[in-house]
Amino acid sequence: MTEPSPPDIYSGTSQALEFPKISFRRMAQLVWKTWPFMRPMLKHIIVLLLVGALQTIIFAGSLFIAGDIFTNKVLVGEKVQPFQAWAMGLDESYVKEELGPGTDDQAEEPDDVESEQSAGLLATIAALAGIEPVEDEEEDEEDEEGEAEEADAQANKLTEEQRKVVRDRMIVLLIFLCLLGAVMYGVVLPYYGRWVWHNVNQNLRVAMIERAEHLSLRYHSNTRVGDAIFRVYQDSGVIINLLEEGIIGPVVTIYNLVLGLVFIAFFDPLVALTCILILVPIVLLVYLFTPRIRRRSLVNRRAYSDLTSRLQESFSALKVVKVNRAESQILDRFNTDSERALDAALALRLEMVLLGVLVAFVGGAAWLGLEYVMVKWVIEDRETYLGAMVVAFIGFTVWNLGAFHTANSRVEDTAEATRMLTGVWARLQDLFIALERAFFLLDLKPEVADSDNPREFPESIRQISWRNVHFAYTDQQILSGVNLTAQVGTVTAIVGQTGAGKSTLMSMLLRLYDPDEGSVLIDEEDLRDLRIDDIRHNTAIALQRNVLFAATIAENIRYSSVGASREDIEAAARVACADEFIWALPGGYDTELGERGGKLSTGQRQRLSIARAVVRDTPILILDEPTASLDAATEHQVLANLGQWGRDKVMFIITHRLSTIRNADQIAFLDEGQIVEIGTHAELLAREDGFYRKFVDAETSGKETS
Amino acid sequence: MTEMSLDTIERKVSFDDRIDIDTEITNREALVIVGRSFKLLGHVKKLFAAKVVLGLNVVVPALILPWLGKILVDNVLLQKPFGETDIPYPPFMDSVITWLSGLDPLEIMLRLTFFYVVMLALIGMRVGGTAAGTFAGGDAASEAENQISGARSKASGLFGLLEFWVNVRLTQRIANRLRTQLFERMSRLPMTTLDDQRIGDSIYRVLYDAPSVPDVCYQITITPFFTLLVALINMYLVKYTYGAVVPEVVWVSWVMLPLAFLFVFPLSRLVRRVNQTKRAAGAATTNSMEEAVNNIDAVQSLGGMEHEVNRFAQRSGESFRRERFAMLTWMLIAVVGFLVFAIGALYITILTTNKIIEGQMTPGDFWVLFGIYFGLAQAAITLGGFWVSLQQGVAAVRRVFFFIDYASDEDLAGDRVLDPIRQGVVMENVEFRYPDGATALSDINLEVSIGELVALVGPTGAGKTSLAYLIPALLKPTSGSVSIDGVDLSEVELDSLRGQVAYVFQEHLLLSESIRGNLLLANPGASEQDLVSALETAGCMDFIDKMPDGIDTVLGRSGNTLSVGQQQRLSIARGLVRDARILILDEPTAALDPATENALVDALRRATEGRLVVVIAHRLSTVRRADRIVFLEEGTIRETGTHESMMADEDSPYRRFVELQND
Repeated sequence: MTEPSPPDIYSGTSQALEFPKISFRRMAQLVWKTWPFMRPMLKHIIVLLLVGALQTIIFAGSLFIAGDIFTNKVLVGEKVQPFQAWAMGLDESYVKEELGPGTDDQAEEPDDVESEQSAGLLATIAALAGIEPVEDEEEDEEDEEGEAEEADAQANKLTEEQRKVVRDRMIVLLIFLCLLGAVMYGVVLPYYGRWVWHNVNQNLRVAMIERAEHLSLRYHSNTRVGDAIFRVYQDSGVIINLLEEGIIGPVVTIYNLVLGLVFIAFFDPLVALTCILILVPIVLLVYLFTPRIRRRSLVNRRAYSDLTSRLQESFSALKVVKVNRAESQILDRFNTDSERALDAALALRLEMVLLGVLVAFVGGAAWLGLEYVMVKWVIEDRETYLGAMVVAFIGFTVWNLGAFHTANSRVEDTAEATRMLTGVWARLQDLFIALERAFFLLDLKPEVADSDNPREFPESIRQISWRNVHFAYTDQQILSGVNLTAQVGTVTAIVGQTGAGKSTLMSMLLRLYDPDEGSVLIDEEDLRDLRIDDIRHNTAIALQRNVLFAATIAENIRYSSVGASREDIEAAARVACADEFIWALPGGYDTELGERGGKLSTGQRQRLSIARAVVRDTPILILDEPTASLDAATEHQVLANLGQWGRDKVMFIITHRLSTIRNADQIAFLDEGQIVEIGTHAELLAREDGFYRKFVDAETSGKETS
Repeated sequence: MTEMSLDTIERKVSFDDRIDIDTEITNREALVIVGRSFKLLGHVKKLFAAKVVLGLNVVVPALILPWLGKILVDNVLLQKPFGETDIPYPPFMDSVITWLSGLDPLEIMLRLTFFYVVMLALIGMRVGGTAAGTFAGGDAASEAENQISGARSKASGLFGLLEFWVNVRLTQRIANRLRTQLFERMSRLPMTTLDDQRIGDSIYRVLYDAPSVPDVCYQITITPFFTLLVALINMYLVKYTYGAVVPEVVWVSWVMLPLAFLFVFPLSRLVRRVNQTKRAAGAATTNSMEEAVNNIDAVQSLGGMEHEVNRFAQRSGESFRRERFAMLTWMLIAVVGFLVFAIGALYITILTTNKIIEGQMTPGDFWVLFGIYFGLAQAAITLGGFWVSLQQGVAAVRRVFFFIDYASDEDLAGDRVLDPIRQGVVMENVEFRYPDGATALSDINLEVSIGELVALVGPTGAGKTSLAYLIPALLKPTSGSVSIDGVDLSEVELDSLRGQVAYVFQEHLLLSESIRGNLLLANPGASEQDLVSALETAGCMDFIDKMPDGIDTVLGRSGNTLSVGQQQRLSIARGLVRDARILILDEPTAALDPATENALVDALRRATEGRLVVVIAHRLSTVRRADRIVFLEEGTIRETGTHESMMADEDSPYRRFVELQND
């Protein structure tokens, strides 16, 4: 993909959009593309996932044992396991003595623990949801049954005193566990995770900015600044969710889902089959909604990006807005874009929510239906499918209260998991749209790029030439066959009408654009064979638009010449006649400039621009309308200084000012995209009806008429 | 977080900010911000009421579900007849009992299932709530989208869908109201502030800070209301079952409230600060990104790409780091909350286990009581910590209110409507100093009147632009007075003044819209004829005619598909289309070729009929055709007069200035 010139960039998002297609293959590709940004953090990602998994296991295990101790030992009064006794530092009187009924215990234990565990969780969940104790009524009864069964095993019971000791030590252990859990689960691991994913996001962001900085001006003039901001912030940000929430989460859920289905099949394959069959309409719904969600997501992201651009553009034009009393107009435009973005956000969410509600209904209704059937089976005392096979372990041969509860909650889990999966799927569609947008920027190949085997930049330059250079700007032909040669040690003035292509001609020397046809040569090297960095490193330009950055004056002059010392900076400022006014500022060279250097007059900014070009001390210097805003005295001084300073350099000056042009070694007159005249001031003035002569006449006529 | 690291945060808190520097606020000021946020709800009363009413659906399952569960177990599965259980049903269950009694178990189940399915469709009973959003990044900027369109419902089904819808709109309306207000205020910042206010930061405040306000609103209304409601329902239900033991549990739960508050309250300042800092760091990142991309031509020409990328990387990294600080602070508070909760849990555990061991309670009771405690304590801790959790939002919203409160041009101006200007501008003893102390103008006495073409001339930095800024009150004199038709500008209503002054800047700021749109910005009522004649005068038609869409051609970013000279001509045309009494052109001809310049000056001469034209210029060809020349040097007026009269004077500073140019 090379840089496109997007035609609809400024036309907003109202136009009809085709449904964006993202196949599974494309998703896989996008995931794969994130790899370079994750790779530097690979070790940490692995550690993060492993520690997370390990912690889950350890904590689940601890809670399991703690639950056992609590319910069976403290509450019911059974004796503790040897390991538990060891962990709590209890003596042998607490431990079960005979190992004979041990097998029995083992057989019973999982059952007991399981039901108590789920009872505990159920109660907790119930309480959380504001659901109260009735569920526990039957648990009580179960417990009573359990107690009745164990009534004869009195010998194996702890005394009241012992139970309290176990309880107290248990509490000490629990406090320790809670603290550790709170710190690890609540602080350390999330912080570590954040750090890891921030770094991944940072890698992606920086890569995007780097690419944006290297894309050609042709691309940039057709895209909006806010779009870049949006892509770098919102679109790239989703990468932090890709692995854990986008891939691992759903995989774990699917694994649990399958496990749950197997478990259900153990009770009754018909129930499991129903659970699977109900997936058909759900998948159909998802299939139906997916393209809609994608489209809404794309519209949402575009609308938000447009709003960002609108803001950026409004804020950068505030001065004009202010003097034109256009505040209410830009407010209207902001409101329009804002409403559009909010509507798009709502539309996307409604689509997601509608899918969620429908899936919840289908899944929920199926579950309620199955619940009814299972209740019926309990009443009918129907046999479970494989219950008889494991009768030695669990008493679920026929459908009873316990079997119903276990099977029913598994079916509920299945419905819930399906619903969660569709939710994640919906959000994943948006994630992939976002990634697609982020990588769109990264996939653009800079139009102006280094060749495969760039050559060395010539050590000393003799001449620079344009040969038959053609260039068109989108739909406008700017240059059509320019031929121009400039020798080292000379000053070439480029003269011509506004919009004749003077700045464009110079941009080619910096390789901001490459010619459509023809070539620009340094000595006999085509610029396209040289490294862009080398070219720009050897060419300094003072721009027509005096761009200053929000930094100190010294930093602005030093801008791209990192090695420049304070002496170099001050010397350059003296060449540009900026030294004097800089010292007059409150902070001297360390004065902070506001946005776009607004505190300085245009003439002052212009001189800073020149100083910035001078400080780089490059063999090629381009001055684009360098003195337009300078008064005559300053202009003369600056030009004299430059003449002195630039004796061994190739210098180009674009200007309208006769006083500047006159002293140039050669004057090139650009008209209709071609150099129509070239020579010295005297030579060109001698041509009757020459372009230059007319130009000079116009300049002086202003004086004569008055 | 130690004291030392707090200090580091304090020192670095300003980042890029030049205007909003003192970000620290007291608890009292935070309370004021909360109050102002609350007032925003006044604008969305209906939606808010709808949200509260729809949210009440949460009551139904909370009240009914436990009892239906009990019926399922007792009367269906265990097949007991009604009225044989020891725990009485609450009064609101009477009708349900009547509906179900006397049926055989399977019939009861059928009715129950029917009821469940209906409720599932209506409120999604038994399947939980509704929420939707997008995956966000780990920073305030990318979280903002979910904040401004965030919603949730505890219901699903029809009700959930409706509540979600209402909730999204409610959130959007609250946030959008604030951000629109902010945008409007920021578009009216004084000229001197504009230079210091960076675009990235402004974007950040409107797009990423303002969306925090709905959360602040909810945290002081909906969240505590529903938290309390659910807690009260819990307590009500418990009365029917564990009435004897429960008082202690309830008591302990509610003690958590002041306890949680006491523990976390001292952290409120820290929470505000880390959140301010993370947002300032995010804004600094936005600044660097905006500048790097917006000035791409300069960056590339100057070979500064690497420099910009490094600057962005450094700032973005810092911003992420600050995000993590804020997150860490939040997690520490959560841990404190958890520990408070754990202390209560410990007490409950000892209390109940004692009773169980002593045989006063069954083991099953433990989990129930624990569950009750969990429900109540969670509500108490939510309420107890609410002030602190509010501070995250307050930190963001403060950044919004800062600029809403910032004195704009309008606030500083008077309210006297200026009649159509007939005479001219008078400046008396005017002095202007920048806020940083630099003097731009001093001792200015000048009178210019309608019908004149006045040129402001002088070396760079002489104060020409500052002087011109005084006329549309873009700057206000620090002493002395500027008046138009005898009315002091400090008393004048700005719309009536600026409506009569057209100003063309040195920088040519165009919007990325069509040429027509750019002109209409200045004068929405301009006819096609007005547009074309303004464009012709400024010499724009040459290049516009070559464009495929002519006057409707859409310009690229900031108009940069045009050459600088073309941009300048369009800017001039925009000034002309205003047809204002006073027209000020700041260096209009700098980038124009001589032929265009001459045509423009001719047009300006014609335009002086019935209006005042002020031109700032260096080019003699422009200057000498002015009716009057005002020569400025070092912030004061050295000389005024016509070109000829001043050139005739041997000692004239203007003459010296001109002679230099003619060398």
